[in-house]
Amino acid sequence: MSGYDIHRGENPRIIFFFWIAMAATATLVLGLGWRQLIAAQKYEEIEKRQTERRVLKPGARGDIYDRKGNLLVGNRAHYSAVVYLDDLRREFREEYSKIIRAERAALKEAYQLTPLKEREDSQLTPDYNELQWVARQNVIQRYIDQINLITGRDDAVSTRTIIRHFNEQLLLPLPLVSDLKPDEYARLIEQVPVQSPVQIHTDTARYYPYGVAAAHTLGYVQKVNPDADTIPNDGIKTYTFKSKIGKTGLERSFDDLLSGEIGAEIWRVDPLGFQDSLLDGETPRQGENLITSIDIDLQMAAETALGERTGAAIALDVRTGEVLAIASHPSYDLNDLSPFIPRKTFGEINERGAWLNRTLQLSYPPGSTFKLLTSIAGMRHGTLTLQTEHDCQGVFRLGNRIFHCHARYGHGVVDEAAAIESSCNIFYYAEGLRMGIDVLSAEAKRFGLAERTGIEVPYETKRLVVPTKDWKRERVGSGWVPGDTVNTAIGQGFLLVTPLQMATFIASIARDETRTQPTLRALSYVEAQQVNHGGEPVGLTRKQRAELWEGMERVVGDGGTGRLVQIDGLRIAGKTGTADFRAHGKEVNLAWFVGFAPVENPQIAVAVMVEGTSSLDSYHGGSTAGPVAKDIFLEFIEQYPERAGFQVAR
Amino acid sequence: MAKLRLDRIKPLVALGAFLLAWWIIPTTVKSFLKVSFSEFQAPAWVATSYLDDLENFWARRSHSKVELIEAGREVARAKSLYQFNSQRKETLENEIQRLEAILNLPSRREFRYEVARVVRRDLNVWWQQIVIRKGKDFDIPLGAAVVFSGGVVGRVVEVGAFTSRIELVTSPNFRMAANFEGDERPVVYQGLPQSGFGDPLGAVRDAPKDVIASTQIPLKLVSTRLGGTFPPGLMIGRVSWLEPGSTGVFQAGEVELDTRLLSLHEVAVLIPLYPIDLQDDVP
Repeated sequence: MSGYDIHRGENPRIIFFFWIAMAATATLVLGLGWRQLIAAQKYEEIEKRQTERRVLKPGARGDIYDRKGNLLVGNRAHYSAVVYLDDLRREFREEYSKIIRAERAALKEAYQLTPLKEREDSQLTPDYNELQWVARQNVIQRYIDQINLITGRDDAVSTRTIIRHFNEQLLLPLPLVSDLKPDEYARLIEQVPVQSPVQIHTDTARYYPYGVAAAHTLGYVQKVNPDADTIPNDGIKTYTFKSKIGKTGLERSFDDLLSGEIGAEIWRVDPLGFQDSLLDGETPRQGENLITSIDIDLQMAAETALGERTGAAIALDVRTGEVLAIASHPSYDLNDLSPFIPRKTFGEINERGAWLNRTLQLSYPPGSTFKLLTSIAGMRHGTLTLQTEHDCQGVFRLGNRIFHCHARYGHGVVDEAAAIESSCNIFYYAEGLRMGIDVLSAEAKRFGLAERTGIEVPYETKRLVVPTKDWKRERVGSGWVPGDTVNTAIGQGFLLVTPLQMATFIASIARDETRTQPTLRALSYVEAQQVNHGGEPVGLTRKQRAELWEGMERVVGDGGTGRLVQIDGLRIAGKTGTADFRAHGKEVNLAWFVGFAPVENPQIAVAVMVEGTSSLDSYHGGSTAGPVAKDIFLEFIEQYPERAGFQVAR
Repeated sequence: MAKLRLDRIKPLVALGAFLLAWWIIPTTVKSFLKVSFSEFQAPAWVATSYLDDLENFWARRSHSKVELIEAGREVARAKSLYQFNSQRKETLENEIQRLEAILNLPSRREFRYEVARVVRRDLNVWWQQIVIRKGKDFDIPLGAAVVFSGGVVGRVVEVGAFTSRIELVTSPNFRMAANFEGDERPVVYQGLPQSGFGDPLGAVRDAPKDVIASTQIPLKLVSTRLGGTFPPGLMIGRVSWLEPGSTGVFQAGEVELDTRLLSLHEVAVLIPLYPIDLQDDVP
């Protein structure tokens, strides 16, 4: 018999307390059951949020190749020395204790030196929070000093960096020294003990084996935090390593293709947020590769030929519109922008005006290369026939204005082919006036000179001008005058096109069509057979076309303006151009050459523009731009002798 | 009864007291004790190794005259070969110096060799070390490279008065920069915990993804001068396979090391002739 049984019949208050105790126990049991059985999932999620952390690691970007499989953009090792703060906790504590002791002693001494009346107890209390950060900085700086000793560097860490890392990226390693050179990396590998909290972290940075080649077209990348959409919304705190996104060029246009897949690690952390154990992990994956239409040998030929001059050079595959070479100068070494753009480098490139992609971001007057279009417009409209001739005396009177030919004493009587060969302005002044600006503008628009080409490189300029009467009234605020027409007929006046447009224009003439769709993607055999440039036949008769092409071939002949482009055994059709242009606050020359080869079966179209940077520069299409084009043609023969019409010994 | 119980736990109390004392005493005292202990043991190890040498000497005395004459001939042949190679090396060194002078190149690191006998092997899963019979008495520096005829042996991690301790290339605590023969790009080599059975193994990581290794054509992993400790081109081991690492850009794999590493008798310590100059040294 228990003690309770003895008193059961004697004291009813015990029964009352018995039931209260029973009710309380039942409440506890029910509460426990509720939490364990019904609300368990909720608590598991809370526990997960409190103890688990996710670390996202972006995958490496895909490589970019030229059409022959040469690597244009790859990934190189990017070494840095890092430290996981979790490994330094003991040292932080020891350093903090040391600092606190020293600080207290110093405060006490200062307190005793203070006059009695001015003494306050608060004087004896150090700023614990600040001292904690100082302790952490001291410990981390000691490790950086060790690294400096091995590498000969002079790096330091700021308290601000440490605070930011603690608050935002505690689970990630703190970078102590970034962008180590291979010898620094090797020394650290050998001289930092394996057990040291300092680890040598290997990441990737973009690498450009050809440096400046096609720099504007290939583009560069920038490090950013991954898109918030990629982070699962499950309440687990997520830390992310920075990923790279394309900022310009193909890196930007094909960013989705090139970007790698993000990998993730789930870590269990302790109550202070430091890593405890790895629970799960998924490896990041490298992005897809991109094969471009660029031929690096032609590209290098274009780059070398342009040299130190300002300008652009483009080579297109006539049939498919694939870009074989695309160079813009001044340029920059893409390796200088990886893994990040130093402020000094940015300023230096900016000062040289090298950020601008002159192949498609700037528009220029096409000069005499536009005369080809004036010829086509005249022939299609019927104002220019095979019998048309004009007597060039060096000047052309229009009202009270006099327009000059570049030959002071004139070319004499010239027909169309001779006018193209000698680039006679007088012939085209007269023809321009006969057909009128409406016909000329319509023809230019038919060839797509008023529209962007739609190539895969971003930031193609919208400032493309094929002037019309309405355009001038709207933009300039005055009416169209005949002088505007004669200027337009020779590619001057308001006319503005990009070098890339002129490349597509000359490729279109070579194919006897009005449009060429340029592309930087290497097309497969099947795709190349099915290319649709979206244009229509030019609409010239066989004889008209022969007359035009004869003039163009004569340009590169012995008496032509582009005779410096001549290559034995290769028939080239081309047109030179020299335009006046206002740039850098002064009047400068623009030298142009457009052409294709071989004439009997056109394979490659080339457009070259060289921009004067000083009013003292005396540039001419034939002597300045022509040799650049010649080098590209020569390299084409070297690389594709059969396509250039040369016999190849087998 | 109570007295008996106290007697029983005396050893435990003593152990506890010792551990407590060890925990409390300053690190400098601990280091001093450790070094003293090591220095105290060293003469015994050295003496043992001399006894081993004597034993070998007497064992070899039992060989017949014919065997000794044959061995003498072998030695004479080897000696003439080494003399020839030595002359060739001297000529090449002179040529290198001449070219360096013409091209105004800084000189590469030069080493002095100190050959030393192995007196003790300390091999287990967690560390792999050997002790050699030369120390401060021969100016052996801490961190110096140690090599043998098969390539890299390890690095000096502790120097005593008459002995030095070498961390073997097979040890998980050993790490060095390396490169594949014919490829200048640096990779990381690190020893692995050894199983005790089979050949010694190491690990290589950060290998570029275009490097291909196969069992038919294994790659030679050699030392690089970039690290500043080892001269270039010393054999570390062979790599028969590589697999992509976590970034997808670099590869990692296993390195098959020389089995002779676990039974070395003699090694050479490379002592730099002048201290490394971070600015001017050829990397």
